[in-house]
Amino acid sequence: MNRFLAFTKKEWMEQIRTFKTLIVFLILLLFGLTSPLLAKLTPEMLKLFPIEGLNLAIPEPTWMDAYAQFFKNMTQMGVIVLLLVFNGLLSQELSKGTLINMLSKGLPRSTVILSKFTAASILWTLSYAVSALANYGYAVFLFGNPFPPHLFFACLSLWLLGELIIALLLFATTLVSGNYGGLLLTGGVLCLLLLISILPQSAPFNPITLGSGNMGLLTGDTALGDMASACIVTVVLIVLCLAGAILRFRKKQL
Amino acid sequence: MDILSLSHISKRFGRLPVIKDLSFSVPEHSVFGFIGKNGSGKTTTMKMILGFLSMDGGEIKVCGEKVVYGSSKTNRFIGYLPDVPQFYPYMTPKEYLALCGKVAGLSAERTAKRSQELLTLVGLDGIDRRIRGFSRGMNQRLGIAQALLSEPKLLICDEPTSALDPIGRKEILDILAVAKTSTTILFSTHILSDVERVCDNIGVLDEGVLKLEGNLNDIKNSYRQDTALISLADPGRNQELMEGLSQLSIIKGCTEKERDVVVRFTGTEAARRQILELLLSRNLPLVRFELLEPTLENLFLEVVQ
Repeated sequence: MNRFLAFTKKEWMEQIRTFKTLIVFLILLLFGLTSPLLAKLTPEMLKLFPIEGLNLAIPEPTWMDAYAQFFKNMTQMGVIVLLLVFNGLLSQELSKGTLINMLSKGLPRSTVILSKFTAASILWTLSYAVSALANYGYAVFLFGNPFPPHLFFACLSLWLLGELIIALLLFATTLVSGNYGGLLLTGGVLCLLLLISILPQSAPFNPITLGSGNMGLLTGDTALGDMASACIVTVVLIVLCLAGAILRFRKKQL
Repeated sequence: MDILSLSHISKRFGRLPVIKDLSFSVPEHSVFGFIGKNGSGKTTTMKMILGFLSMDGGEIKVCGEKVVYGSSKTNRFIGYLPDVPQFYPYMTPKEYLALCGKVAGLSAERTAKRSQELLTLVGLDGIDRRIRGFSRGMNQRLGIAQALLSEPKLLICDEPTSALDPIGRKEILDILAVAKTSTTILFSTHILSDVERVCDNIGVLDEGVLKLEGNLNDIKNSYRQDTALISLADPGRNQELMEGLSQLSIIKGCTEKERDVVVRFTGTEAARRQILELLLSRNLPLVRFELLEPTLENLFLEVVQ
């Protein structure tokens, strides 16, 4: 336990001193703050630049647009930020050889995986929570306070998707070598899941639902049961990815 | 007691055999010089001792405990200095050693005390900037400090002096000479003068096999006694001397080297007496008769050929 705490603290120090904390926190906060604002301002901006011969009937923006904007930003740019920032989580230490000293002191390899997952998870969780709160606060400020149904669950499921991406990155890094092998494999898996999600029947089992069905939860288009079962599948996948990462990492030649 | 023992280790990379049936052991409180050319398998062997690489056969024991590939358990006895140690560049040496201490399971007070002692020993005391931007020599010295932090029973150094300038090399060897009083050292290198300075026992690894192993002094003694250099007052009579020598049964061979004669023989006292008797009987005035100190370099070249 002491080793786990020590190594997790080292991960935090690394995140802070290599500006990862700042980057993730600021970018996610930016999404949280700009989503309601963009929703509010888009019709105004369109009115400012009238296109001749085209009569646009723009509906009055609502809190729905604010959340549509937020979920869209998070599932696109948010995922990319996660992939890029956490890509080097394990691969960089392996390619540079910084882990050698730690492992030669008796640090168990499973602790390395669990510490890295914990530290990355906490950064993602905190940044995402602040971002979601900022979005909520700003949406209330701009559009009043109609608390949408299942809002918390919709946000939580997207958070869970982020956790899966971190676990998947770690597992992928233990499967393929090189600085970008893990990133490519993770990207490949996500693309595959995206392709599968074209089939509507796959929704209750596909983790992609956690990033595509959020608005549906608010509007009632996504069945609560579908989202719940996709969440369970994702939790199972996270556990499997971590277990796989530990098993594979134990047998990795260094 | 043997701190480290390897028995019948073999290792292949793909189809290429790197280590073939390697066995040796390192007794407690000795310095074992692990000598070999680049690519002879020294680093591979060390990584197997640390459980970083799998073995294809054989067994390694550290302090009597079996090394299991992928497990870090036996590493609690070991301090390891990799050939090019890599640290977290955003930490200061003190912060790094504090992390090492926690990872190795030392108490905070113990770590603080040891860090202070070791940073003083390696000359990094008072350097509070981050490791990013340290020179190679500084990295190597910090590497020794981290390796010695938990007072390991076995210190493994992978070519600690190879990439350093003469001053850096001397510093590292001085530090190792101090460390030698409290721990057992396995030290790989291809710089033979370093071996002569610090090692008690040596093993010469070539093509995955240990070609020569034993106490450095014993090995040198066994080679020392069979070569002598003879300088005559009149080098013109070298041929006559060589002719006489070749008739003695104990002489293995002799060659003319510049103005001297180098003679190789078996046996010790008897051989020397016979050579001197020959010189007397032929009335060959002697300027110099010297038993040649074998250099480790010659020995190494002879063994790995």
